[in-house]
Order: sequence, then C-alpha cells, then structure tokens
Amino acid sequence: MLGTMAAGMLRTCGIFALTLLGSLPLGMVIALLRKSRFTVVRGIIRGYISIMRGTPLMLQLLVWYFGPFYLFGWSIRGWRFPALIIGFVLNYAAYFAEIYRGGIESMPVGQYEAAEVLGYSKTQTFMRIILPQVIKRIMPSVTNEVITLVKDTSLAFTLAYQEVFSLAKQISASQTSFMPFVIAGVFYFIANYVVAYAMELIEKKLDYYK
Amino acid sequence: MKKMLALLLTGATVFSLMACAAPAAPAATAPEEAVEEAPEEAAAEEAPAEESGETFVFKHGFDLDYPPYSFIGEDGQIGGFDVEVAQAVCDYYGWEYEAVPFNWDAKDAELNAGSCDCIWSGFTMNGREDDYLWSKPYSDNTQMIMVAKDSGIASLADLEGKIVGVQTATSAYDLLNDEEGQKQLADTFAKLEVYETYTIAFNDLKAGAIDAIAIDVTSGNFLMSGETDYEFLAEMLGSEQYGIGFRKDDQELCDKINAALDALAADGTIDKIGKNYPDIYDYLILK
Repeated sequence: MLGTMAAGMLRTCGIFALTLLGSLPLGMVIALLRKSRFTVVRGIIRGYISIMRGTPLMLQLLVWYFGPFYLFGWSIRGWRFPALIIGFVLNYAAYFAEIYRGGIESMPVGQYEAAEVLGYSKTQTFMRIILPQVIKRIMPSVTNEVITLVKDTSLAFTLAYQEVFSLAKQISASQTSFMPFVIAGVFYFIANYVVAYAMELIEKKLDYYK
Repeated sequence: MKKMLALLLTGATVFSLMACAAPAAPAATAPEEAVEEAPEEAAAEEAPAEESGETFVFKHGFDLDYPPYSFIGEDGQIGGFDVEVAQAVCDYYGWEYEAVPFNWDAKDAELNAGSCDCIWSGFTMNGREDDYLWSKPYSDNTQMIMVAKDSGIASLADLEGKIVGVQTATSAYDLLNDEEGQKQLADTFAKLEVYETYTIAFNDLKAGAIDAIAIDVTSGNFLMSGETDYEFLAEMLGSEQYGIGFRKDDQELCDKINAALDALAADGTIDKIGKNYPDIYDYLILK
C-alpha cells in the first residue's frame, strides 16, 4: 500500500512542480499585461483573471480536458495530464498575477521619479529597482498560495489522475479502511511543512537590508 | 454558453501553449507508467485502428472506487470482476486491453468524448435503458438497506425519521430520488445523507452518525466482510441488473462483446473468474 501511495505522492509532486514552473513566470507576464497601454489587452487580461478566479478550479479542469472534444471534435487520448497541468498553471497564474500587481503598485511613485532623475530607463527601473523589492514584499502571499497549491493538487481526481488523494480514495474503498487517508494527510502535512520551511529560508535570504 | 467556452478556451490556449505545452508533454508519459496496466500513450492524435490491420485497442472505462467490480488493490494493481472479464474478452479477440479509470461523475463525458469505449463497472441498467446501448445483463443485483444489528430497525417502515446514507451517483441514490422508485420512502427519512464513497458512509454508520445505508447487495457484502455487527433488512429496496453501457452508435462493438461474453460463459472462463469474487458469485447471470 505504501509503495502504491508513494507513486501517487511522486505524481502529486510532479503536478506541484510543473504548476509552479509554469505559473510563477506566467503570472508576471500577466501582471505586466494587466498594466498595458492598450485598453484591449487590459480588458482581455481582466476578463481572464475574473474567469479564473470566479469559477471553481475543478470545473476549469473538466473544461480543459473535455473542451477540445466537445468544441472541436478532437481526440483527447493522452490529453489527461497536459490538460491537468494547463488547468493548474492558468488558474494559479491568475492568482500570482494579482499578487505581483499588488506588490508592484505598492511601490512609492517617488522611486520611479528618483530613478528617472538618475537616468534609468523604464526597463532598468523595473528590473533593478522595483522588482527586487516587490519580490521581498510578496513572499508571504506567495507562500500562502504555494501551500494552497499543494492541497489543491488533490483536485486532479476530477480527471482521474492517480495522484496521492485519488489513490487514497480508491485504496480506502477496496480495503474498507481509513488508513490511506491518514497516510495522505501525513504526506500533505510534511510536504507543506517543507514548503513553509523553504519559503522561510528564501525570505531570510532576501532580508538583506537588516 | 458555447461561445463563452470557446472564447475562454482559445484565449487561454495561446497562453498555455507558450507556458506549459513544452514542460507538460514530456512529463506526460513518466508518471502514467507507474499505473500498472494503464499505459496511456502520450501520442494524442491516434486514429482508432479499426480496419487498418493494427490491433484494436479496447478502452475499458471504469471506476476505481467500486470494489469488487473494479478497484485498485493494496499492491497498486487494478483488479475486480469486471476488469478480469474485460481482459478475458480482449484475450479472446486478440485485442489490446487499455484501462481507462475515470471519475464516476464524469463517466458520460468520458464515454462521449471517446476516451473510453464503454462503461463497464458494476453499471446498473435499470432506469438508464434509453441512455446507452446495453450489452446483455451479466449480473443481478439488489438494492438493500444495511443497519446495525442492534439498531431496532426491522423493516423499511422503521426507517421513518431516521438518517440514511447513500453514495452519490449510484443506482441506490437514483432509486431513492425517483418518483416511480422509492422517493416516497425517502421522504419519510429524517435525512438522506449523500456521500462521496460508501466507505465513508460505512464509517459514519459505525460511528452512529447515521442509522442505515442504502446500498446494492454486492457492495454491501463487500463492506460488511469481516464485520459481524451489521446486516441487511430482509425487505429489499429494489432489484436491478448490471450491464455494459456503450455509445448508442456503437452497435458493432456491443455485438462483439455480447458474443464474447457468451463464448466465455460457455467455456467456463467467467465462472472461474467469478469464483475469485465470492461476494458476487451467487448473483452472476452469465456463468
């Protein structure tokens, strides 16, 4: 049982890692597009964020998986895992984008003015002055979101992906025992403990002004 | 609605293609391999290999939460009566067997989208006659009420004012919500508690949080194996039969499976498989 569940844990970690890898950078792109000069771009991004945040992730996963068939009649063989990752990445990118935006907008205008006086270009100002401070400020919110992601991976059961929670459910049914749920619970707790610890280390590392 | 979906999809596809098509594709194969006997190929656009001389891949759609018909064992292997019979059918025709475990609530979407060829997982025909193309029934099943022996509940009438548990999207659930079924009885309950799985319902029964469970006899027997304090009421809730559900336009496959079931019943294969599952053996029609 432990061996089977360990395989599920690996798959859970896979969803987790790929989602972060995709959504952390994508969130930044979206945050910047959200402040674009073009009204159309801003409108599209706002619409995207409100759909992603306004509908359940479970529903979004179903749309990603079954959508290609019902809309275009495409075969969805082998599409289960890619659809899962796309669903997670796009959903989390929306949340990260809003966290980034909050961080960027919290920067005093005086800094932009000072940078301009010192001859920094817009890109330089953002990359060298604003961004490093933003990252420091948003770390606690990002940690929150990452911890939520660890637990949200269990939504993969919607698409019958064999991650640790789906397996716990299935093994529990076949063994008529609660033990698999206990094991899954311990796994999530340890995983989140590690995440919280790692994020704390990063925060300390970024605390270079003290 | 459709337009909105299309917008959402196309708009987001652009992003997704940039962001994650690359990391997702190679990773798709690795974790799947760990599920034994479920080698889902990553090649998405594979034409159904019907008359092309290639081996036909029979995609068996089932629920992994439904022992003893289909489940995942302690060793991580899939198993169950339906799984073994489906594999025997594939051996009979020389087809390749592919396991497609799905989330039970999404079974119709999976079937219609073609990710599986049939729903074959302790699937009740009664009440769904017109929704699928059905194979011949292969197993009898009865809906029962399970109670603790010392509960003092002896008949369906005693359930008045009691809390009864049932698993969502099962035929017991449908029966209790059907005006022509047992809806009137269900209306006498204090509450009908709907669960994600029967395992949790059973734990609630043990804990005394509910008074009874409405369940089909084979799943109920499976839950009660190893327990001595629970029993079925003699009075049954309803009777039903299990079959295999196909897409309505898939007559050819349905005929083939029916023919194979007959052949496998005749040569004793199904009987042999059935003996591995004593909880349901007595109810099998084809053996």
